[in-house]
Amino acid sequence: MDIGFSPEETHFREECRDWLHAHVPAEKRPLDAADAIGFDKAWQRRLFDAGWAGINWPTDYGGRGLSIVQQVIWLEEYAAAHAPWIGANFVGVNHGGPTLILNASEEQKAYHLPRILKGEAIWCQGFSEPGAGSDLAGIKTRGRIEGDELVINGSKIWTSFAHVADWQELVLRTEEGSLRHKGLSWAICDMHAPGITVRPIRKMSGQTEFAEVFYDDVRIPLTNVVGGLGNGWKVAMSTLSFERGTGFIADQVKQSHEIEELIAAARANGMIKDDRIAGHLAQLRAEVAAVRAMTYRNISEVVRTGQPGPEASVIRLFTSELGQRLERMAVLLMGEAIIDFAYGDDDAVGDYLRGFAATIAGGTAQIQRDIIGERLLGLPKSR
Amino acid sequence: MDLTPNDEQIAFQTATTDWCREHMALEAARDRPDGLWDQLEAMGLPRLTAPEANGGLALDHATEALVFAELGRFLAPIGLLSSAVANRWFAEPFDGKVALALTVEEPGPLRVLDPVDSAAVLLLQPGSVRVFDIPDRFLNQMTRQQHVTAHRPTIDLSTMQSEQGWATTAVWTEDDVRPPLHLQLLAAAYAVGCADAARDMAADYARLREQFDRPIGWFQALKHMCSDMAVRAAAARSQLYYAACALDENAADAAFHVAAAKRLADQGALDNGRANIQVHGGIGMTDEAAAHLPLKRAHLLQFIAPAAREALLA
Ligand SMILES: Cc1cc2nc3c(=O)[nH]c(=O)nc-3n(C[C@H](O)[C@H](O)[C@H](O)COP(=O)(O)OP(=O)(O)OC[C@H]3O[C@@H](n4cnc5c(N)ncnc54)[C@H](O)[C@@H]3O)c2cc1C
Repeated sequence: MDIGFSPEETHFREECRDWLHAHVPAEKRPLDAADAIGFDKAWQRRLFDAGWAGINWPTDYGGRGLSIVQQVIWLEEYAAAHAPWIGANFVGVNHGGPTLILNASEEQKAYHLPRILKGEAIWCQGFSEPGAGSDLAGIKTRGRIEGDELVINGSKIWTSFAHVADWQELVLRTEEGSLRHKGLSWAICDMHAPGITVRPIRKMSGQTEFAEVFYDDVRIPLTNVVGGLGNGWKVAMSTLSFERGTGFIADQVKQSHEIEELIAAARANGMIKDDRIAGHLAQLRAEVAAVRAMTYRNISEVVRTGQPGPEASVIRLFTSELGQRLERMAVLLMGEAIIDFAYGDDDAVGDYLRGFAATIAGGTAQIQRDIIGERLLGLPKSR
Repeated sequence: MDLTPNDEQIAFQTATTDWCREHMALEAARDRPDGLWDQLEAMGLPRLTAPEANGGLALDHATEALVFAELGRFLAPIGLLSSAVANRWFAEPFDGKVALALTVEEPGPLRVLDPVDSAAVLLLQPGSVRVFDIPDRFLNQMTRQQHVTAHRPTIDLSTMQSEQGWATTAVWTEDDVRPPLHLQLLAAAYAVGCADAARDMAADYARLREQFDRPIGWFQALKHMCSDMAVRAAAARSQLYYAACALDENAADAAFHVAAAKRLADQGALDNGRANIQVHGGIGMTDEAAAHLPLKRAHLLQFIAPAAREALLA
């Protein structure tokens, strides 16, 4: 065990830092998906052109083919430089792409992966349905096989960035009458196909970042199925492991900067003299330190064994709740100014309100606890 | 000793709830009908404890707290709090709504809550409450700039705010600890109602929403979350009743009990507000659903006559 980085890694870190220092955009990322899409695409293209997109993706598909440790170093420097959230590219870069790398055919990979890295193709995730959130296996959206096509009917909900997306990770029931985890498929759905209607939904923070998606006889080629017909549950689980695992490293790193900013803010406005606040901040700082340690431990596990291990769900739960504690502290430090929050504002209150998603999206905190209890501790399954 | 409401109080409470459900639904909190204030006035709600000479009902604080907790459950206008206090403690009755200013150090400017259609504003000060006019424009004493008292939204989608200068012409209460405690008590009652609203919304949803072929309330993780909401609301409500009685009796420790009620009610409203969103899952985060409304109201209420640590430790 050691906490040092090799000379090459340190050199790589300096490269990241220098480039970011010179290139992080000065303007803020717009908050509404429709306004942000141009910004997100341009920034992703910039990252790609400079060789910073897909650091640990295979070189065949436009990645750099570097190690996961280098990926983490990049993300650490990325957060330190206050680089913008990758926004609409989140799905493609963090879990759509990785799912394809693991499960897709050569053609699928060759077509989609470079487009994701270049910011040319925006992806969204069509898993949740009105009747199937925590209970993902309750999916009802169906795909009827007609010749070499899938004909899709049904609806999805909470699909982030659906209204600006080009492609979707769509999990649907392709075997009529099949139950639960069986008979599902994971397909690449063209969001511009006829028959798709997107109804954007506004969040309690004022942004319309997610949407409801309706499918009315939408036709996509059967060759868009990833990982084989009927294997959707397995492929979806790999997507979720990317989403819940490495996809959140950037957030985790961000927390180490947030706590320092909070401490500085509490010093500046004198609230740190309140013992209760000082105590809270001290606790948060310790927890943030542990997040980095947990992340390093988890990454080391990946390097050693090739897999993240079940502790990934522990990190996910811990950081999502810690993130909410940090956001609560930030609004506490604002004092009465929280009253001034209005839709459209981009401040700590907006972060706090959007932050409720951390324990809901990508599997709720309750579901994460079930997973930890059952897979890590061997407790009996409750469902 | 009897900390349960009597028949008359229960009847009043039930009538309030029924009326609110029909005319002031929580779901419609951001879009209140015109003339709502007149209806609230007609029912005497801003004058429950005001002297009869001023057109008040001269009821006790216990009854008033009960009724205000119901009003709070429907996110009733903030101006009811300040109007009730103004009408109770000043000899001259006030005509119409009295808005509520949050405490600031002289020379202001003041943050005025619920200023729409109100002509006066009530401000809580150490040991007293003060009422003055709302001018159309004012001079900011700090920046020396002229301001028009324009209305802006607050985080609580049912409440507007404005800013105004510190006025010197005013009436205020003297040598009586009760007026400030009255405001704190009513704000606590609102927060209790807010905590109740979040609890009921969560429990209703947990009974209704099904995942894994059963209502989500079947799962202990959710059931216990709802139970905790009930515990917080019950603790705050009990303390509210106790505090109201202490204020009615002008008890020596009334200040402590009212502060305790406010502290617990604020905490209950915030914690229940957050938990309610989690219980709802994705839909809880939307603007369309009502789950965010009690949470946002709770964030506003915590700044109205907050419970000082000194009052709790005294
Ligand atoms: C901001 C945001 C973005 C999202 N983006 C996407 C996206 O891009 N694509 C996508 O497919 N989905 C997305 N989601 C949906 C997300 O995955 C679901 O909201 C989540 O899985 C919960 O499902 P639900 O909303 O139906 O809530 P429900 O499953 O109905 O849950 C309601 C409550 O019940 C609890 N519960 C349910 N089952 C159990 C149980 N067995 N034990 C204990 N408690 C239980 C939950 O924890 C929750 O508290 C997003 C959600 C949010 C909030």
